[in-house]
Amino acid sequence: MTGTEIALIGAALAVGLAGIGSAIGVGIVGQSAAGLVTEDPDKFGQTLLLQALPGTQGIYGLLAGFIIMQEVGIIGEQMLELTVPQGYAFLMAAIPIAIVGLVSGIYQGRVSASAVGLVAKRPEELGKGIVYAVMVETYAVLALLATIMLLFGIDV
Amino acid sequence: MPIIDMRKVYLLGHRQEREKTFNLLQGLGTVQMLDVKSGAGWEEFQSYLEPDRPPEIVSQVDSRRSDIRYCLDFFQRYFPVKKSFIEQFTGARLVISPDQFADYVDSLDQADEVYDACRRIEDRLARLRNEDTQAHNLIAELEPWKNLDLPLEEVSGGSYISMGLYTIPLDNYPALIDELSDKISIYYLEEISSDNEFAYFYFAGLNEDRQEFADLFKAKTVSKVTFPDLTGTAAENIDLLQAKTEELQQERADVLGEIEKLLEQRPILMACFDYLDNEFKKHDAVSNLARTENSFLLEGWVPEPVVGDLEKAVNEKTETAVMVSREPEPEEKVPVLLHNKGPVDAYEVVTKLFSTPKRSEIDPTPHLAPFFFLFFGICLGDAGYGIILALLSVYMSRKLRVGDSGKQLLKLILLGGLSSLVFGILFGGYFGDLIAIPPLWFDPLEEPMQMLFYCFGIGLVQIYFGMGVQAYRNIKSGQPLSALYDQGFWFIFLNGLILMILPEFQAVGQWIAIGGGAGLILTQGRSQSGIIKKFFSGLLSLYNITGYLSDVLSYSRLLALGLATAVIATAINSMGDMVGGGIVGAVGMTLILLGGHLFNIIISTLSGYVHTSRLQYVEFFSKFFEGGGEPFKPFGKTSSYVDVMEAEEG
Repeated sequence: MTGTEIALIGAALAVGLAGIGSAIGVGIVGQSAAGLVTEDPDKFGQTLLLQALPGTQGIYGLLAGFIIMQEVGIIGEQMLELTVPQGYAFLMAAIPIAIVGLVSGIYQGRVSASAVGLVAKRPEELGKGIVYAVMVETYAVLALLATIMLLFGIDV
Repeated sequence: MPIIDMRKVYLLGHRQEREKTFNLLQGLGTVQMLDVKSGAGWEEFQSYLEPDRPPEIVSQVDSRRSDIRYCLDFFQRYFPVKKSFIEQFTGARLVISPDQFADYVDSLDQADEVYDACRRIEDRLARLRNEDTQAHNLIAELEPWKNLDLPLEEVSGGSYISMGLYTIPLDNYPALIDELSDKISIYYLEEISSDNEFAYFYFAGLNEDRQEFADLFKAKTVSKVTFPDLTGTAAENIDLLQAKTEELQQERADVLGEIEKLLEQRPILMACFDYLDNEFKKHDAVSNLARTENSFLLEGWVPEPVVGDLEKAVNEKTETAVMVSREPEPEEKVPVLLHNKGPVDAYEVVTKLFSTPKRSEIDPTPHLAPFFFLFFGICLGDAGYGIILALLSVYMSRKLRVGDSGKQLLKLILLGGLSSLVFGILFGGYFGDLIAIPPLWFDPLEEPMQMLFYCFGIGLVQIYFGMGVQAYRNIKSGQPLSALYDQGFWFIFLNGLILMILPEFQAVGQWIAIGGGAGLILTQGRSQSGIIKKFFSGLLSLYNITGYLSDVLSYSRLLALGLATAVIATAINSMGDMVGGGIVGAVGMTLILLGGHLFNIIISTLSGYVHTSRLQYVEFFSKFFEGGGEPFKPFGKTSSYVDVMEAEEG
């Protein structure tokens, strides 16, 4: 494999794994939200907000993938020929957001789903439900930070 | 003073003026009533006072209120009031003038008629639904026999022959045919139809063979189908039933039309509900009072600044009521009302989302306000997005009628937009890189490490500030030594450690850190007994350094979120670029840019808001603020369905 191809594996992992995490998380919240909305259709807006929360991991993954694509030159002027070590550097840089995005997306989905239950009984406490979910997201943000710093640190 | 002082108020008056006084208090909405019976002096009073009870009328009001609620829910079920996405958060209310409101409340008697009508209609609807289900079930049962030419009433037996309609699981059918032809000489069987599971057949046989049929049918799980009440063929009956369901549909439409006519009354019902709801609350609040034969006693909390107004109003509007007030006793649980001036007011939203402060605490709102403003701006960090947010907030506050906390939230968004505008200009973000204006300061995308250090720096400032607030509280409560031990030594220790990182201050830093650390070891175990325990818990307290470290590192999210906003915006711009030229390309590019940036604004604002809040709650509040106070809940008017416009002046 050429270095460029290895780098693209990194992009694929970042987008793919973090996206899976978000998809599962958003799915879990959607299920409980739909259950609540059968009882009380007016809660649609609030539950949609909660459902959106675990969606950010997918965006972070896409972001990392996008930076790799840009650095490698898939988007833009022309593809660079990377050396194999450079390719591995990109792959490794993508790993934090890929793994943490996958796992934190799922767990954030679970917390948000519980927050849907909270909103069912106490709609005025939506804010607290969001804060709980955001505690999980912290680690996705930190992983994204690590990924971005690593990507910016690679010389091509 | 952001936390308003409260005064305990006692109001004594003649029973005949009780309702008048309550109307006054409810209108003003400045008193939080307390249950006299659970007050401190009740045991003393008990000998000459007795608990007051709500007047008889209260149950009547309650039942009328629930009747109206029933009607409104009934309307809502068939003709829902549509709410926009925003109204799902703010609530959709009918806006009416005070005159209209009075008119509507006068027509309260109509509400009873509407209620009766709703009940009638609901019974009819239930009956229609029932008949409809029955008809559909019967159609489903008849469907397999559609091809049977024999009228159903003629499917019966005589002296020599018995006949009937039967169903059998498809798997058993061939076996049944075989065995029948083996065992019995004379019979008639005709398959009428079959589906995935069953075969349906007509069968006639001699009565003398009856026992054998019965055994065979039982063995093959054949079951008999009868339609005792029907005459004519199955097909005729199906047609009849279908005609009937159509009639039922028509009738249902007529009934819905009747509901639609009643809908005219909906505004009246809405107003009446709010009126009765407030009446109910007013009457119900009487249970907080104590009484003698001719007087009533009310106990409650009133914010200090309005005590004078309240007293004046009570004296002017009533003849007998007397009001006295006093400072709260130290052990009393006083409700907390926040009042912040100017832009700081908006940040009460953030504080309240966490918790109302306790009375003994400092209201953190003014302290978190500047940090919140800065952090949100760094997270969004785009001038274009900032302008859009600010405009959106201004537009919504013009357009929407929202309560106090809604206004605060809109103001928070406005301030966030302005902050984002400032940081957008500093960092050179205008819809990402759509408009190329060089940054006034530097571009975090180019120099992320520099930005990271600024984030840690500003985080450290906030953490020190939080420690400072706690130190101030300690000193003010007469514990200057606690301020030195718990905040001062940490401050010294942390600064020493930071200096140690910088090469030129390493030696100085080392000694400062050792000094601070020694101070901590000597003082942090002071609540323990015994010198050894004191020493070890002091030593162990140094472990808290990890807490401070992770607190500071946590501020790196400011950089991450800022970069995320900028990079997503850039990505949207490059996607827009990729669409080819020409008219189609231009349209495509516009769509991508509009949709993409809108999406980015929503997602980045949301995460900027929640992560900035988290920094306040977890990193900042942990230094000096616990919360858990009881918010001030005055006895006043509430509205569920209608907003009565303020009478316009001039």
